Amino acid sequence: MKMRNLLVGLACVLGTQAPLLAAPASPTPDLFALRVGRAETVSQGTIEHAVILIENGKIVTIGQDLEIERGIRVIDRPDWVVTPGFVNCYSRAGMSSSGGSGTQPSVQASTELYPRQPIYGELLAAGVTTLGLYPPGNQIPGQAVVVSTAGDSLESMVVREGAYLKVLMQSNSKSKKTLRDGFGKADKHLEAVTEAREKHEKAKDKYDDELKKWKKYDDEEKAKKKEPVDPGDFLEPEPDDVAGAFLDLREGELNAMFSIRKAGDYLHLIDALDEEQLSWSLRVPLRNDIDLYEVAEKLGADERRVVVEPRLTLMPWTARERNIPAELDRAGARVVFIPNGDDLVNQEKWRHHVGHLVKRGMDPQAALAAMTHEPAVLLGVDETLGSLDVGKEATMLFFDGDPFQASTSLKAVMHAGDFVEEASAQ
Amino acid sequence: MKTMKKQLIGGALGLTLALSFAAPSLALRVDDHEEDAYLAIVGGDIFAGTGEVLRGATLLSKNGKIEEIGYDLLLPDDCETIDAHGMRVYPGLVALSATTRLTQGTFAAGVEIHDFVPHEEHAEICGDCGKSFEEVVPPALDPGEFSTEHLAVDAFRTDFDDSFDPFSGYMVMALGNGITTVQQSSAAVKLKRGDISGVSLSEKTLTSQSWSGSNPAGKADLREKFRLATEYLADYRRWEEAVKSDKELKEPSKKGIDGRILDILQGRTMARFSANDRDDLLGIARLAQQFKFRPVIQGCVEGWTVAEELGRAGAYAIVTPRTRRDRPETTTYAAGSSIENAAILTRAGVQVAVVPANTSIDMGGISGRDLLSLPLEAGFAIRGGMDERSALESITVIPARLLGIDHRVGTLELGKDCDALITDGDLLHYQTFVQYTVVEGKLVYDKQEEVFYSHIRPRPEAVVDPGEEVSDEVEPVEAEETVEEVVEEESDEE
Repeated sequence: MKMRNLLVGLACVLGTQAPLLAAPASPTPDLFALRVGRAETVSQGTIEHAVILIENGKIVTIGQDLEIERGIRVIDRPDWVVTPGFVNCYSRAGMSSSGGSGTQPSVQASTELYPRQPIYGELLAAGVTTLGLYPPGNQIPGQAVVVSTAGDSLESMVVREGAYLKVLMQSNSKSKKTLRDGFGKADKHLEAVTEAREKHEKAKDKYDDELKKWKKYDDEEKAKKKEPVDPGDFLEPEPDDVAGAFLDLREGELNAMFSIRKAGDYLHLIDALDEEQLSWSLRVPLRNDIDLYEVAEKLGADERRVVVEPRLTLMPWTARERNIPAELDRAGARVVFIPNGDDLVNQEKWRHHVGHLVKRGMDPQAALAAMTHEPAVLLGVDETLGSLDVGKEATMLFFDGDPFQASTSLKAVMHAGDFVEEASAQ
Repeated sequence: MKTMKKQLIGGALGLTLALSFAAPSLALRVDDHEEDAYLAIVGGDIFAGTGEVLRGATLLSKNGKIEEIGYDLLLPDDCETIDAHGMRVYPGLVALSATTRLTQGTFAAGVEIHDFVPHEEHAEICGDCGKSFEEVVPPALDPGEFSTEHLAVDAFRTDFDDSFDPFSGYMVMALGNGITTVQQSSAAVKLKRGDISGVSLSEKTLTSQSWSGSNPAGKADLREKFRLATEYLADYRRWEEAVKSDKELKEPSKKGIDGRILDILQGRTMARFSANDRDDLLGIARLAQQFKFRPVIQGCVEGWTVAEELGRAGAYAIVTPRTRRDRPETTTYAAGSSIENAAILTRAGVQVAVVPANTSIDMGGISGRDLLSLPLEAGFAIRGGMDERSALESITVIPARLLGIDHRVGTLELGKDCDALITDGDLLHYQTFVQYTVVEGKLVYDKQEEVFYSHIRPRPEAVVDPGEEVSDEVEPVEAEETVEEVVEEESDEE
């Protein structure tokens, strides 16, 4: 995998310089060990004096003060804190923001993806190693794609297609009807399949009968009558876009992300989903006076994944601040953070904004998970990304302290075992 | 009938009575072993809204319906209770023509503060509910029947079921001012907090008709429509009889008949007129008497001048007692507004509903005239001579009748929805606060727990039992010796 050559440290993090596409200045060997002050693994908590063994871009071993075999190259950074690369699961970075309205669940956001845009390199430098890019538009605009910001071609960028189906859900008849209609279409398709199968079986039976008769005929009769035609094997009719997507949702092959605007929408969503079983997450823009806390317990009971910005909101009608992400976390919901905005500045300040919520009472482990593991699960890429574990891709960030401290800076970014920042590489 | 059917289905599934009103999809999902939910409002003076007052009585709700009202009730073990000693209990108020912000939209109504998600604009509120009015409204009963219960249907879904915001702050404010049911556009909506099931109670019970002195042609038109519709109905009844003996007879044609007028004459809906002038009111009263329907007159400012006539027509009036209108100097007869309007109309037999001058919830502008001043508005009617019982009815059961939901709300009677207010005084007095609001047997508002009024005149202490000795001395706390010692030391010093 090619790497990006980034200019020195902070200047780059601040986005003053666009990164250049070039070969890595100092490639890491196939097998090497990292010795760092602390590893925030997300999946197994904090490991002090961590040693991480990396082979062919993957983590082979991770543990505290492990002995390193002689001969293995060691990169020693006792002051550094390492975390998994940040995953922003809800973005339009590098894409235009125009979108229509309608139900087009088969649209893939990847069709809009243009690699080699400076923004992806800038995001990588800011520590955002993975993006979930969604298609724009109202109602059901299509499916999101997972990309690696380190790639420079479609093949190297796209990690996973069809990460989630984006659905705008509001409290009105139209939204609920869209959803009910979708499942209705899926039902109709299944009925049509059953019907077609029955029809085919009948045709098959008829053919068998006629064939028997045909065989009994003598040549003269055969010449008079038509030879029966074999209807062939049963071909299941293909579902249309909508029915197909909703069938996928039902069968768990596709996850849904429902965007709602207020707590009430959630109840309407549950009502509209009725008894349908599907895997879904919730996206709620944290408006200043959002009332999401009203359903925090319900979201917690369901362990629902909720995509929010790291933001303090106000208790409606008052100037009292509420830390809704922290409340959701305490209630048992899975908080997934996205930056406050899709621009570079907000993505760069992402961890500071999250740090602000940590300062105001949010559990720091949950906060870090909300930027790494939880979005990776949401995107369906947690097999390889989102935590520092054996077998996972060695995509990680190196800080010179607690990542949630404002004074801490990002020293280096590693993608699949390769440093993508020259100054800190060796 | 539909209601009954639904209840039977509900019963078969082992569901509770209250749940049978919920949308079927929701009802089915509920655990079959759901236990009965009880709530008791204990020891308050219950003003049932029917004229009865039970001092220091208890009201018991079971699954959202009033199970019992009386004294020395045996309360179930798991019964939630609200102590209403020294307080009053009233039926929840019914607010006519409330604005939509109450049950829909967000806190910051219409203002997009956060613009992160592109292209997600607020979609228009009302789509199509899929059912026509005829489909959901049962056949008419005799027009002129006193109760309009037959207008309501429980087993249907309206747009409000799909757009109701159960966490709206405006709704909480309305609950805090005693309003538990509102009319929104054409539907009656129960202000359920935290629940979206079964919020629509009825739909389209009123159809607007125009009758105005400034439009004589319109008056003639309307009269003609009523005449044609009446003739059609007479023809239809004759045909119904005749067809029994002669099967070949053709059904009379509906051509040229206004369906809305037919609905009015057959009691499916009520005709609402906006009228204030004496002459218009007289015209409407006579039209109603001629064609035998009960008119609903919104405004009715000069109604007091022709009250007898309106009473004879069996009219409903929706009035705003604080309205002011001068008598034109050119007139020689009584005209203009009167503070006695509501009182005079009531005495003449008109059923008077009261609405405030502004039926939105208004945080700016003239406060005290918006929807939240509903009980105050009725208080003004009392100032004009209306009796207190009628004033209470004007914001409870009479608007409920107009919306066709008086079999469920408007009074505290057995079997009706348990929508009750607990106040610290006379509901229609300006000083009174609603302390608790209960909707369908659930406590949905507690003054001390909400930001709106908790800081104004905190809740009065519970009435002290006269048998109990009250002492000024600080009672020593047994468990905490240090406190005891400190108290003793202090008293020693004194």
